[in-house]
Parts: sequence; C-alpha cells; structure tokens
Amino acid sequence: MTGPRLVSILRQGSYLIASIHTALDDTEMTAFQHDLVERIGRDRARGVVIDVAALDVLDSFASWTLRTIGEVARLRGAVTVVVGIQPEVAFAMVALGMDTGSVRTALDLEEGLAFLDRVVGPRRPATATRGGPA
Amino acid sequence: MPRVEAAEWVGGPPVRDSDAVAALIPMVRRIVAARVADVTAAEDLVQETLARVLAASGRVEPGMLEPYAIATARNVVATAWREQDRQRRNQHRVVDLTAPDLPEGGLLAEEERSAVAAALARLSERDRQALIAHEVSGRDTRSLAAELGSTAGAVAAQLHRARARLRVEYLLARDRTEPPTDRCRPVLFALSSGDRRRQREVDAGRHLLECDVCAALGQPLLERAPQRDDEVRIPIGGDADVVAARQAARELAGRLDCFSPTDLTLLATAVSEVTRNIVKFAGSGEVVVEVLDEPRRGVQVTARDAGPGIPDVERALQDGYSTYAGLGLGLPGARRLMDEFAIASEVGRGTTVTMTRWCGDR
Ligand SMILES: [Zn+2]
Repeated sequence: MTGPRLVSILRQGSYLIASIHTALDDTEMTAFQHDLVERIGRDRARGVVIDVAALDVLDSFASWTLRTIGEVARLRGAVTVVVGIQPEVAFAMVALGMDTGSVRTALDLEEGLAFLDRVVGPRRPATATRGGPA
Repeated sequence: MPRVEAAEWVGGPPVRDSDAVAALIPMVRRIVAARVADVTAAEDLVQETLARVLAASGRVEPGMLEPYAIATARNVVATAWREQDRQRRNQHRVVDLTAPDLPEGGLLAEEERSAVAAALARLSERDRQALIAHEVSGRDTRSLAAELGSTAGAVAAQLHRARARLRVEYLLARDRTEPPTDRCRPVLFALSSGDRRRQREVDAGRHLLECDVCAALGQPLLERAPQRDDEVRIPIGGDADVVAARQAARELAGRLDCFSPTDLTLLATAVSEVTRNIVKFAGSGEVVVEVLDEPRRGVQVTARDAGPGIPDVERALQDGYSTYAGLGLGLPGARRLMDEFAIASEVGRGTTVTMTRWCGDR
C-alpha cells in the first residue's frame, strides 16, 4: 500500500489496539476486518480495542463491520471494545437505528483498556509476550 | 475485427483477395511504425488499414492494391492523430467565435470553421446577429440595446441564451451527430445555459444517464458552464465515491453556517447510505448536492442511477429489507436522518432519491 496508513494494528500484551486513521470506504473497511481477525488468531489476542475516533461516519456498513469483527473475535476467544465514537457520530447511529450489537463500547482508549482488564484479566507484561514487531 | 494473419505471397492468378492483402502487411507496418511510436496503437492502426484495404480489394485494380494500401495507411494514421488532437483541444473550449488561426493546418481549421458555421446557421436570425455583433465586431451590450430598442440587461440575457444554444449546436455539428430523441436538445440547452430550474424541469440528470449521445456532449457543456459554488456533482462508480460524496455534502453544507456538527454528520451518514445503494445495485450513477434558498435555506441531495430500479419502493423503505449485508438500514435509515425524503424508481430505468435537510431547528 502506498501513502499514509489507513489503519494500524498494534500489539500490547495480550491485547490488540487497532486504530482507524481516516475515513474508510467499504473495501478498506472489509480489508481492515480481515486483517484484524487474522491478527487476533496469529497473536492469540484476548482483547481487542478498535479506535474509531477518526471515522467521519459510522453508517450501516461500518457499524455492521464492527459488529462482525466483534462476533468473530468472540468466537475466537477475544473480547472486543470499540472506543472513540464521536458524540455526533453516536447521535447519527441512534437516528439511523444502528448500534454495535453485542460489541462493547467505551469512551476512549484508556477506558477501553480498563474494561478489558476487568473482563479478560490484567494484561500480561509486554516483556512476557512473544512474536515480532507489531 | 478479425486479425489478418501474415501469409506467403503467391504470385499469379487466381489470387484470393485476402492473400494479396496479407502480402501487404510488412509494408503497412513500416508505414505506420514510421509515424506512430506506441506499439499497441500502431498495431491497431495496421489492422484497421488492412481491414479497409481488404474491404476495398474487390473494387481496386490488382496493380493498384499497393498504392491504395499506402494511401489508406497514411489516412488512418492522420485520422487517429486528428481525433486525438480534437479531443485534447476540445477539453478546454467548447466554442469560440473568435478562434485564432490554428497552427495544426488547413484541414483542421476548416473542420472547426464548418462546425461553427453549421451551429450559427441553426440559431434564430436575431440570436445570430446579436452574437456576431457582440463577439466578432466587439459591440457592447449597451450600444446593441440602443440599436434594438431594448435594455442592456435583456441583451445580455439574450446573448447568454444564444451562446448556450450555439455551444450545443457546435458540439452536434462537430461530432456530426443528430440527437436521438426530442428531449436531447432541451436537455443540452439547459446544461449549456447552466439553468438549474430548467435542468430540473427537463429532468436533465436522468436523461444523461439514459442517453449516450447527451452524456458525451454534456461533459464539455458542464465543464464549460460557470462554476457554481452552491452545487457539487459527484460521479459515482465505486466504493471510494461513497466517501467522496458524503465528504462533499458535509463540506458544502458546512459552508452555510446553519448546521451543527451533528447535523453535518447526520447528512453525511444519509449521503453515505444512498450513495452505497447506487454502487451496490446500479454500479454507477451520480450524486448532486446543492444549496436551496426556497422555500427555506437548506441542502438538497439527489442520488440517481440508471440501474435495475426498485420493484417495491414501500418495502425497500421498511427496516430490514436488504439483499446485501448491512442490515438493510440503507434507505429507511437515510430517511430518518433527513427532513424530506422521496424516491422515484422505475424497474429497468433506475432510481432517483431526493432528500433535503433544512437549516435551523427541527
Ligand atoms: Zn439525449
């Protein structure tokens, strides 16, 4: 891929922190879904934070994709939390009749990680993780 | 076009035409290659030359086939150049009565002149005289108005209409095209004059999706029309255009200073939904976002396609109706996000969604 990265997926202990950096079209959103699901398996992640603060809208397709990620992750043994939904985006989701389904949401990254610590158990220290650079 | 394969030249009668033509291939290749650097383009021209020579071979004296092929090859190359150049030139200007002498040579200038002459001939006598007096003789609207017993404003409006009409007729003459339907000229004229009310009345957007001739001619007309800062038109052909459309809508609406960030996000989300419907069900179409002043200030979005159409619009507006992943919230969701929402759909002809969000409180 050329140009600035659209998304990044970083590993932190047994968690993955996935950040969307810009508005994504459906193809990019689907690619993000595949990459993230693949990383969950490869890194044996137990928790996933998806930061959507940079998304301009969460329309039906984007919301549906987040739900799908959350449900696939759950089947693979990971808990997903979506963070950074902007107030006006949240308002539009409500008006649209959309929500993130069984996927939990939190205000920001810090609260998302705190939520994961509560439901998954505390993160293992980063030094104990294996694998290459994220 | 079937490709002509090289074959051995077999001397003496009876020689099949195709054999005789095939024998000319190396020579034709040399002629074209000397003039066209691009290998693929050159090969296309070689094939076109051979096809023409083959078609004519029955009518040409046996001894004349070679000179005929040489002349044809040169013609085919020259036509390709002219075509390429004409397209390039006409991207910038649609018609200019005071066209400077073209350096490309007599033939080209002649072609241009005859298109302008044909276009002028189609105008009314009154329009033609006004245009020529103004554009060629340099008379100003005030002196023309005095002469015609009119006002400068009325003359300016007449000139504007005449120019718009001339651009349409010029393009038709240049392409030697006769519009296929009665609706074509009114549509092209409405585009050329940049008259939005008229464009709506004649449903210009839909006609452009349905009529190839007007779609081709409409492009230069729209490019030439004065740039509006209260309207944006986004051609839709794929996923990335969904993002482009919603961002353009947000940007245009944001300039009005009457929408909150939430309003803008609601609008962008609705545009995303209706634009995605175009991509998913029709493949291509267009989205037009425009500022409305009447009856109130607001933003109107028109999303139209020439796709398969929606057999049951009522059902499509119910939650959960969908044939693709996304939970079927597209159209009903968009309707909830906007103040006004209307769908016109005809099976086999396409769909137009028109939706509006007004400034101020809801
Ligand atoms: Zn037409």
